Amino acid sequence: MDPWQLRPARDHGMPLRERLASTRREPGLGEVLLQRSTGMLLSGYLRAAHRLRIHGAEQLPSQPPFVMIANHSSHLDALSLAAALPWRLRHVFFETPAKSLLASWLLNALPMQRRGPVRHALGDLRARLLEDHCGLVLFPEGTRSANGVLQPFKSGLGMLVAGTDVPVVPCWVQGAFAAWPRQARLPRPGPVQVEIGAPLRFAEVADDRDGWQYVVRQAEQAVASLAVHTADAPP
Amino acid sequence: MNEATLQRLFGWRQAFDHAPVVWLVAGVFAVLVLGSLLVAALAACGRLSPATRIELRRRLLSWWVLAPLMVGPVLLGAAWVFGAVLLLSLACYREFARATGLFREHFTSALVVAGILVVTFTVVDHWYDLFLAVLPLGVVAIAGLAVLADRPRGYVQRTALAVFAFAFFGFGFGHLAYFANDDRFRSLILFVLIAVELNDVFAYLSGRLFGRRKLVPQTSPNKTWGGALGALVLTTAFVALVGPYVFDDRPAGAGLRPLLFGVLIAVAGQLGDLVLSSIKRDVGIKDFAATIPGHGGLLDRFDSLVLVAPAAFHFLGFEHGIGLDSLPRILSGG
Repeated sequence: MDPWQLRPARDHGMPLRERLASTRREPGLGEVLLQRSTGMLLSGYLRAAHRLRIHGAEQLPSQPPFVMIANHSSHLDALSLAAALPWRLRHVFFETPAKSLLASWLLNALPMQRRGPVRHALGDLRARLLEDHCGLVLFPEGTRSANGVLQPFKSGLGMLVAGTDVPVVPCWVQGAFAAWPRQARLPRPGPVQVEIGAPLRFAEVADDRDGWQYVVRQAEQAVASLAVHTADAPP
Repeated sequence: MNEATLQRLFGWRQAFDHAPVVWLVAGVFAVLVLGSLLVAALAACGRLSPATRIELRRRLLSWWVLAPLMVGPVLLGAAWVFGAVLLLSLACYREFARATGLFREHFTSALVVAGILVVTFTVVDHWYDLFLAVLPLGVVAIAGLAVLADRPRGYVQRTALAVFAFAFFGFGFGHLAYFANDDRFRSLILFVLIAVELNDVFAYLSGRLFGRRKLVPQTSPNKTWGGALGALVLTTAFVALVGPYVFDDRPAGAGLRPLLFGVLIAVAGQLGDLVLSSIKRDVGIKDFAATIPGHGGLLDRFDSLVLVAPAAFHFLGFEHGIGLDSLPRILSGG
C-alpha cells in the first residue's frame, strides 16, 4: 500500500446493502479476518476434495496492481484462483456477477451488473486499480460457459487496462467444469489444476475501441494457448 | 467470586433496590413521553415546518430505541454494562477508523482492538491498578509493535491515530464500564448518562432560543455562545439539585461538589462534541455513519461522552474510589 492518507473509506456513509453491491467497497479488519479464515477453509477443501495443483505461480507479479483473467465454467474457478494467490497479493477483488453477501465476504467479490452503467463502473474500477494498488480477478467471458468450452471475451477487459502499465496474467482452470458444471447444484470431487501464464502488458495500446479489441484478442489467445498446454501435459 | 459479586454482575432483581434508580429511570421515560407529546402538540398547532417536524419525529423515535438500549444493561447488571460498553468501544473505533482511513492499516487496527479487549479484561476483573496502567502500556505497545510493519512512511500518522483512538474509545469509554464495579453503579451510570444527554438537549434548545454569536464557526457552524452558556447553567443546576440525592453519603455529594460536577459535565460534554466535530471537518465528512436515523453514527450520538466518561469517573472517585467496597480482581484473584 501507498503513503498514508487521511481519507475516509470510499464507501463511507453507504447503507449496508448498497455497500455490498458497490465497486467502492473497502474491507476493514473484521472483513479481512473473515475472508482469511474462510479462505483457509476453502483452500483446505480444494486440496482435499479436488487435489488442487497450481503451475506457474512464479509468473505472478510480485506487487499489485495486476489483473488475473481466466476461463469461466464453474463456481470453483474463482475459489481455485483465490487459493493460487499468496496472502501478500490477496488485496484482490473478484469481478463476478455475484451480488450476494456470501460472495462479497468470502471472496471480496465486486458485483458487475450485466446491465446498467457498465462504462461508469469500469471507470471506477480502473481508477481503483491504479490508485489503490489492488489486484483484480476477472472472467472476460462474462458468465460461466454452459459446455466448458471457452467463449468469446467481452471488451470490458480492454477498457480496464488499455494504455495502463497494469500486467494482465492469463490463467487456465482445468477440471473445474467436470467437478462442478453449471448444471449441477453441488460439486463432485475431482482434480482441479490452475495454470498461470506469462503476464501481458498493454501500456502502448491506445485507450479506444480498436485498442480494446486488440487487448481482448491478445488475452483470449493467451488463455486459449494455456488450455492447449494444460490438456497436453501429462496428468 | 462471592455472592455480592455475582449479584452485582447478574442480579437484575436488585435493579430498583436503590431509590434514586427508580426516580432516574422514571425521569427518563417521563422526559420521552413529554417530549413526544410536546412535538405532537406543536405539530397539531401547525407551529412546526414540515422539515422540522420530520426531523424531530426521527430523532424522537431514535431516542425511544436508544434509551432502553442504554438503560436496559444498567438495570440488568454489571456484566451487561461491560458487554454494552465493549460493543460501544468497538463500534466507535470502527466508525473512527473508517472515517480517518486507519481501517486500511489492518495490523495497527488489530493492535487497537487488542487494547480495547485488554481494557475490558481489567474492567471486568476489577483490577484498578492495571486498568490505570493500560493507557501508558497501550501507547508503548502500539508505538513499539507498529514498527514491525516495517513501513516508516506514514508511521507517525498511523501510530498517532491509533493511540488517539485507543485513548478515547478504549480507555476513555472503559471508565464508563468501570463505574459498574461500584456497589451502587446503577445510579452513578444513569446519572452521568442522563446529565450528558440532557446537556446536549439543553444546548440544542437554548441555542434555538438565544443563539446569536457563533461559538466556533469553522468547527461547527450551528453551535452558539447562547447554546453553550444555556447548557452550562441548566446542566449545572440539574446536577447540583439531583446530585446530592444520587450520591447520598459519597463525598462527591457534599458541599459545593455537585455544582462543580455539573460544570465539569457541561464543559467536557460540549468539548467532546466539538472534538468529534473537528475530526469530521478535518477528514471532510458530515456524519460518522448512518446507523441511527436522525443522529448519524454512534459516534455522532455519543460524542459528548468521550471526554465526560474519564472526567466524571475521576471526579467522583477522587475522595472515595469507585468500587472500593466490592471484591477486587474477581478473575485473576489477587
